[in-house]
Amino acid sequence: MDAHTSSTCDMDELVELRRNLEEKSLEVDRLRQKLKLYEEHDKRHKAMLDCELINDNNLHTIPHLSVISKLENSSIARHSRQLILPEIGVKGQISIANTSVLIVGAGGLGCPSAIYLAAAGIGRLGIVDYDEVELSNLHRQVLHTEDRIGIEKSASVTTAIKGLNSSVVCIPYHMSLNSSNAIQVIQQYDIVLDCTDNVATRYLLNDACVLTGKPLVSGSALRFEGQVTVYNTQDGPCYRCLFPIPPPPETVTNCSDGGVLGVVPGIIGCIQALETLKIASGIGASYCQKLLVFDGIDGTFRTIKLRSKKKNCVVCSENPTITQLIDYEQFCGSKATDKSKTVKLLSNENRISVENYANIVKEKHYHVLVDVRTPCEMDICQLPNTINIPITEVGKNNDNMHKLKTAIDKLTDQVQTVPVYVVCRLGNDSQSAVQILQEMLSDLPVTIKDIRGGLVQWAKKIDPEFPQY
Amino acid sequence: MESAEVEVRLLFFAKSRELVGRKEDTIKLPIHLLPAGLWEGILAKHPCLQPISDNITIALNQEYIAREETEPIVLKEGDEIAIIPPLSGG
Ligand SMILES: [Zn+2]
Repeated sequence: MDAHTSSTCDMDELVELRRNLEEKSLEVDRLRQKLKLYEEHDKRHKAMLDCELINDNNLHTIPHLSVISKLENSSIARHSRQLILPEIGVKGQISIANTSVLIVGAGGLGCPSAIYLAAAGIGRLGIVDYDEVELSNLHRQVLHTEDRIGIEKSASVTTAIKGLNSSVVCIPYHMSLNSSNAIQVIQQYDIVLDCTDNVATRYLLNDACVLTGKPLVSGSALRFEGQVTVYNTQDGPCYRCLFPIPPPPETVTNCSDGGVLGVVPGIIGCIQALETLKIASGIGASYCQKLLVFDGIDGTFRTIKLRSKKKNCVVCSENPTITQLIDYEQFCGSKATDKSKTVKLLSNENRISVENYANIVKEKHYHVLVDVRTPCEMDICQLPNTINIPITEVGKNNDNMHKLKTAIDKLTDQVQTVPVYVVCRLGNDSQSAVQILQEMLSDLPVTIKDIRGGLVQWAKKIDPEFPQY
Repeated sequence: MESAEVEVRLLFFAKSRELVGRKEDTIKLPIHLLPAGLWEGILAKHPCLQPISDNITIALNQEYIAREETEPIVLKEGDEIAIIPPLSGG
């Protein structure tokens, strides 16, 4: 009896040991692969960064631009096609070569403007960005490459510029501009390009350019639309003359929520480069006191004649009340990034985790799933058995709402209260939808909750094969 | 004396396009009115624009209109009024 038991134990232990060993050796393989990947990445990274990244600690160390008074033969040959333009000529080209330009934002606008300025022979280019390259950037931020994913955007743009024109002095700033460093950075340049993606930085750049007397070539883009204005030059208005009050944060749509077709910021960034070259060469900007409005769907360019300086502008008038930089995140009520923020509208008992929802699906509990994303986003990916009610339609009297009520009705025979779960991409809209539905369906036997973190969390924690966008 | 009315075109850009849900509309407005009145007339027809009321450029026939201006403007049949909120993406 004892012998028998002990031998069974041994057998069990043997199986367990084999399984354990197999698991561990798989784990070792995985770790080896991961290490190899990281080592390669590190090697690539080091090779790319033969330039020093500038940050808050070494701001004063940036290389100077040596002033030239005549063109080298190599420069004459390189720029011959633009040298023979009478509007540019040798004088204009020398001016361009003696100009320092700061590009803030190495994204969809910054990439095209940087590369055309470098191609045209701008003397010195500062590139400011706090972010690293991601796969979802490449459709519009065309200077970054697949093998530079994970690398600092400012360094990535510098690498691209060096490949096209090694005579440009290119300075990558891996940092965010803010009220304590912006003046120091901007003072070292002649022209500033606003290629940023958020409201707070737009006000910061405006004020910093007014205070330092630099022209601000401002571009912006979203979806199929783009805008260009050159502020603070030739006696034209500044950004605050036009927009004294920042927009309520909830009315601002960013590219990750609203979408953008890459070529649209491409077009706008190119116009920013053109305006900059005209300022640098002495031709002068066209979009000073003018707003270019580009509609890529209609293929129209409208030029709006803008107001002159506002007499009582808080920053650019003769009696300004803003004489030094302020806290722009506080002023705008929003962060100086375009990252989607997560809101919390619901208490925990009105929400469930993706893990709990996965369990509900696995155990085939009766429930109704509502997805509140747009039909366009539903086409990209969706969970099975979903009723789609776009957030703008939730609570209105329409077919989708009718479908939801029918689905709830059907389940009332099976369960006393019907659980309704609401999902979206990030878990923000789903919370607003729950609030509306709870009120609207209060006479039905339902419990309505949102799935915390939405489909992004689903992909992260439950189904790694689920598409992320 | 009540001023006669004309029909003008409204063009919506950026956030105003999103809020109104279309690119264009027409609206009847008095021939003589103050810039502030012009905006009130547009808001009355499209109250959904209220949240961005303080954050837009208004252009009449591609020329900026300052809302605080006290000089009345004169509208003609078919004039084009563009509502242009700033974009902030890049
Ligand atoms: Zn101003």
